[in-house]
Amino acid sequence: MSASLPSSSPEANPFAGNQSAVQRRETTVRWLLRLSTFFIVAVTVAIVMHILVKGLPITLRSEFPYVNVKFLTELPGTLHVIFDKQGNATETDVNGADEIKKQLGENFREEKTISYSGGGILGPIVGTALLVVVSVSVALFLGVCSAIYLSEYASKGKRVEMIRLAILNLAGVPSVVFGLFGLGAFVLSAPVLTDAPLERSLFSIPLGLTYLSFQGWDTCVLSGGFTLAFVILPVIITASEQCLQAVPHGFRETSMALGATRWQTIWRAVLPFATPGILTSSILGIARAAGETAPIMFTAALAFKDKLPWQKDLPPLPADAGLFAHWEQSVERFLGIFTESVQALPYHIYTLAARIPHNEYSERAQYGSVFVFLLLVASLAATSIWMRRRLRGKYKW
Amino acid sequence: MSNPSSSPATSAPIVEIRDMDFSYGSKIALHDIQLAVERRRVTALIGPSGCGKSTLLRCINRMNDRVPSARVTRGAVLVKGKNIHDEDVDLTQLRKQVGMVFQKSNPFPKSIYENVAYGLRVHGENNVEVLDDAVERALRSAALWDELKDRLQAHALGLSGGQQQRLCIARAIATQPDVLLMDEPCSALDPIATLKIEELIHQFARDFSVIIVTHNMQQAVRVSDYTAFLHLGKLIEFSPTELMFERPKEKLTESYLRGTFS
Repeated sequence: MSASLPSSSPEANPFAGNQSAVQRRETTVRWLLRLSTFFIVAVTVAIVMHILVKGLPITLRSEFPYVNVKFLTELPGTLHVIFDKQGNATETDVNGADEIKKQLGENFREEKTISYSGGGILGPIVGTALLVVVSVSVALFLGVCSAIYLSEYASKGKRVEMIRLAILNLAGVPSVVFGLFGLGAFVLSAPVLTDAPLERSLFSIPLGLTYLSFQGWDTCVLSGGFTLAFVILPVIITASEQCLQAVPHGFRETSMALGATRWQTIWRAVLPFATPGILTSSILGIARAAGETAPIMFTAALAFKDKLPWQKDLPPLPADAGLFAHWEQSVERFLGIFTESVQALPYHIYTLAARIPHNEYSERAQYGSVFVFLLLVASLAATSIWMRRRLRGKYKW
Repeated sequence: MSNPSSSPATSAPIVEIRDMDFSYGSKIALHDIQLAVERRRVTALIGPSGCGKSTLLRCINRMNDRVPSARVTRGAVLVKGKNIHDEDVDLTQLRKQVGMVFQKSNPFPKSIYENVAYGLRVHGENNVEVLDDAVERALRSAALWDELKDRLQAHALGLSGGQQQRLCIARAIATQPDVLLMDEPCSALDPIATLKIEELIHQFARDFSVIIVTHNMQQAVRVSDYTAFLHLGKLIEFSPTELMFERPKEKLTESYLRGTFS
């Protein structure tokens, strides 16, 4: 029977056969995957290059001190551009405009004013830094507390699953909704201690000398920081819980067996070893908190403010004021930072890009802000990474 | 090895388990256990895997409390004559008296010093001199002092496996417990490291009671004065080690010791 088959055919080349269709599909798939990846990388590079090319010339200078000091250290203002009849443009602020016009005299042709595009961006930088500090502090505290509860205390069951689901849902809430929540909760109805409750106060509880009035914190760093804290809480809780779970179970057992209480065990044998991971999670939180615009639009940020949060007019102290009075005023000035509204970088960029007529001057301010913004977020994240490195070296198992 | 028959027990048992039933939820893990552990003796718990010997060990310092639904359903566990499930028992104080060493050596990723001082620190001891003394004493007892005295601040995870386990033993005895529970302390160690730990156990029996769970019957013979054989959650036989290995009373014990166990 085998003799009837051509004996050479199975021997000829068992690996041959018409494989080209299969091979073509392989190649196609490989290139599809490769190109998708390259595309993403290309877009990322394009974004960074775009911002570098447009932003670097505004922020850096070719001669000493190599950075645009004015741009980084001045508050934003209205830019006045004065043209003479030869078409030469001179840029100045509101105070210099008249002087230059007088000098030009007959030669003066035209004056353009561009809002928000003059001066520097110190106000937005300071505002964003403050918002990030407040929101990350609040979110880390609340987030780590609830992660500890979920991971170490709560008994595994339906209730905990429900809590987890709620936290995940919090992550899905659009940021503008957080903004409105912050407006309602923190700006308009959070409790404050005051001697004279406002009329809009929801209700106030007399406490002898003062009142606990639910009249809100107004538009300020504190309101914005708390609102942003809720935006980043899900990330921080989820990541912190994973970090706590990653600490070997044996550490807890050993600690308990040595007679430690539950909290002692968490404080001495679990939390120190989870800290590097928790800090990593705060990196994501920082970037997110710094970048969000919607949650701070109604709660903390102003399009324009001509003062830094600590430049508040306090009554001047008498010449013979004691050390305590000075100290007291410094404290008041420091606390006042958190009850002031601020400018913030993302909102400033939005204002420059969308709220005023577009021209070369506004574009310049806009890209300068974007560049500084990216740099700020990157350096905050770098600090976090550096802290994590140091802690990792100390606690590894 | 001290011969228990030649030095009769002079005082009440340090650990006494009376008619105890223990279950995980609806699954009964230990049934009708009766055991009296003498002071300053080494007691070995042997038996096939899953027989409940580790569970029994963890009943003595209530480590099973950490498992939800696990509980003693009948009987009592007495340590130094006191029922450890009494309402006025402070778990942290119980565990200060009943130390434990686990199967897997698990030093904290801290310095050697901080590992040994951990138990004292959680009990509120912050006096540096007291801590220094206790750390030295514990490390000497665990035969680690000469090896480690010059690098107490070094990271504990830089030690060898055997040293790590001895460090865990030092950590457990730093609070000067009356009972030391050891859950297969040598199962992950090489023969030389095992030998060192067995030597330690002999020395410990001068100062306190040791209860050791072991898979290794030769080890039980080498280190223990008494042996308890458990099978399927029941205590089959409990007698002086020599007696049990020479003339087991129960058929089940005999077949287990001979290795003809089905």
